[in-house]
Amino acid sequence: MKISIAKEQLLNGLQAVQNVVGTRTTLPILSNVLLSAAGNRLELTATDLDVTISCSVEATVHTPGRTTIPVKKLMGIARELPNGDIDLEVDAKAVCALQAGSSYYRINGLSADDFPPIPVFKQSRAVTLGQDQLRAMLKRTSFAVSNDENRYVLNGIFFSFKDKKATLVATDGRRLAFTDEDAEIPEENQADFIVPTKAINEVNRLVGTVGQVEIKFSENQVSFAMAAEGVPGALIISKLVEGNYPNYSQVIPKECLERMTLPREEFLSALKRAELMTSEKSNSVKLTFSRNQLAITANTPEVGEAREILTFNYKGKDFAIAFNPIYLMDPLKALETDEVYFELIDELSPGVVKTSAPFLYVIMPMRMS
Amino acid sequence: MRVILHLDMDAFYASVEQRDRPELRGLPVIVGSPPDRRGVVCAASYEARKFGVRSAMPSRTAARLCPNGIFLSPRMDRYREESQRIFQVVATTGVLVEQVSVDEAYLDATEWVCASHVNDPDPLQTAMPLAASLKRDIREQRGLTASVGIASNKLLAKLASDFKKPDGLTLVPEETKVQFLRPLPCRALHGVGRVTAEVLSQAGLQTVGDIQDYAGDLRPLLGSFGPVLKRFSMGIDDRALELGGEAKSISSENTFLQDTSDRPVLRACLREQATDIAAKLLQSRLGARTVQVKVRYADFKTLTRQFSVEDPVVEAGEIYRLGCWLLGRDQLVRRPLRLLGLGVSGLAPLEGRQLTLPFPAPTLRTASGR
Repeated sequence: MKISIAKEQLLNGLQAVQNVVGTRTTLPILSNVLLSAAGNRLELTATDLDVTISCSVEATVHTPGRTTIPVKKLMGIARELPNGDIDLEVDAKAVCALQAGSSYYRINGLSADDFPPIPVFKQSRAVTLGQDQLRAMLKRTSFAVSNDENRYVLNGIFFSFKDKKATLVATDGRRLAFTDEDAEIPEENQADFIVPTKAINEVNRLVGTVGQVEIKFSENQVSFAMAAEGVPGALIISKLVEGNYPNYSQVIPKECLERMTLPREEFLSALKRAELMTSEKSNSVKLTFSRNQLAITANTPEVGEAREILTFNYKGKDFAIAFNPIYLMDPLKALETDEVYFELIDELSPGVVKTSAPFLYVIMPMRMS
Repeated sequence: MRVILHLDMDAFYASVEQRDRPELRGLPVIVGSPPDRRGVVCAASYEARKFGVRSAMPSRTAARLCPNGIFLSPRMDRYREESQRIFQVVATTGVLVEQVSVDEAYLDATEWVCASHVNDPDPLQTAMPLAASLKRDIREQRGLTASVGIASNKLLAKLASDFKKPDGLTLVPEETKVQFLRPLPCRALHGVGRVTAEVLSQAGLQTVGDIQDYAGDLRPLLGSFGPVLKRFSMGIDDRALELGGEAKSISSENTFLQDTSDRPVLRACLREQATDIAAKLLQSRLGARTVQVKVRYADFKTLTRQFSVEDPVVEAGEIYRLGCWLLGRDQLVRRPLRLLGLGVSGLAPLEGRQLTLPFPAPTLRTASGR
């Protein structure tokens, strides 16, 4: 294999894939990036066996071929080189000679034949979304996934392609974020599955604002293939989370007693400030609603007190409810609308945050002392 | 690093009998039901154990294995009294003590080691004299022997006390704990009973070493216990001593005038018990993580089954529902019951607790719903 490649192209490619490169030494080749040169492109692939990322960048290919190189080394060198072209040549022993200007390196690689094969999809189905669409949907849900490894079906985002809608749901058992968008879904491609958090993080990182993403899925794996203006972008392949996602529609309240319209940014800043007066042990803020007023209070004996007053149009009954401020702030941060609708029943029942966007958030209160 | 001691009296009931009645010393003493009646062995002296007699074994089997065994009826009051005296001796160490049963306790010597200001790089070694003097005091003051294990956690300390019995003193060094665990059968690990051992065995895991080497995820086999067991297999256990003080459980049980398997009667009984328990929980503003049922049949065979949930239960209806579910899950009412009991444990204050979304209970994997 022999190629010339612009430093910027190589770095872009490495940055796209390097996140999944693990530090586990059980299989040394997993610390390497697979390079495949053909046509006028260099394809880079890295995997931790759960998630695989590929990305292709422009390069001048003198001799096509494949090899693997320790990704941290290659990236470290490439990052520090001056801008310009880099020549890479690999010999039969998988030693890579790198030359750029007056810099010469020889990096010991491993044979590409030993690299884990890229997962193939046998009988797969696919749904295509706009990258901006998927990006927005992930932003509105991914903050609510569970990190509790005991609840592994919740350690990911639930995707459902049904009834001409793409739906994403995330929950950690205390709050639940739901969003959906119209999408073209052929009858035979209806499905639902759970994409693990690790893959979600990579998709979040690599999904752009233009072009399409083809989501391909089979019984146990999923891939996200990005493309814009006919140029292929990153490809992320992941195992799916095994198990059944809980029936989320059951926990979405069907009715509410009080519906408030709140200015999102003002509400968010007040919560951010009040949150500073909570502690790990006493991590709740109290929301007290009275005529045309919302008081947000926090009180932690060894820290101090906060009291924020928001005036807004409210004619409902006086009542108080406590929440974990983080859980309340998360959706407000993810949204972009000016106003949010907050629906409540009583101090022990789930609250709902809605907006004009296709978004719904169910949040459980905290028991007040 | 913590320094945990596990104290285990050697063949406690049998040893008390042999101490009280010198003529029994050196003889195979078996405390439990007489061999001609239904019932089991509660304890066997080391002389009887040589014949393969073990506690919980049917007395009949014990008599067959050890024809010259001397069967004694248990004198529980006597053992309880002795236990109190032993724990008075244990208390003189001044360290934190968790009494597990009449003849077993964990001691946390971490503070003691710090306070002893010995510049020994190995805190476990520093605790050796404490363990040795505890054993000596019990022997001199109570005329009984105990085995003690020293390690960095409860799991290892218990295995260590069992390592060399009777009259043993075993220390599991932190550096070699993984090797120490390797050859032991899976069942040696805390939390692995018959059922779990069977599941592991089916997956080809016989020894703790097999679990250590198992690269896959144990969750599909064991649920949330999987990751815990994996840590146990590597000698990692951060369970704290349970020092009591406050109520650890609330329970209620009824013995029926006539044995019954009548569903409406049993349900009414459970509902009443659940109401009592919920009232007590409310009074102390506590929630419970674990619900337990207890059944006793005509032959006095007694079974308990429990279920733990992620989020504490407080309401009578919920406790009742879990109780019914447990009875059904394990088909406990296939014959008439003499006694039915309901209880809760894992109690924790409710104030400031985050409530959880009302998903139906079995949908989400629960804390230890094995």
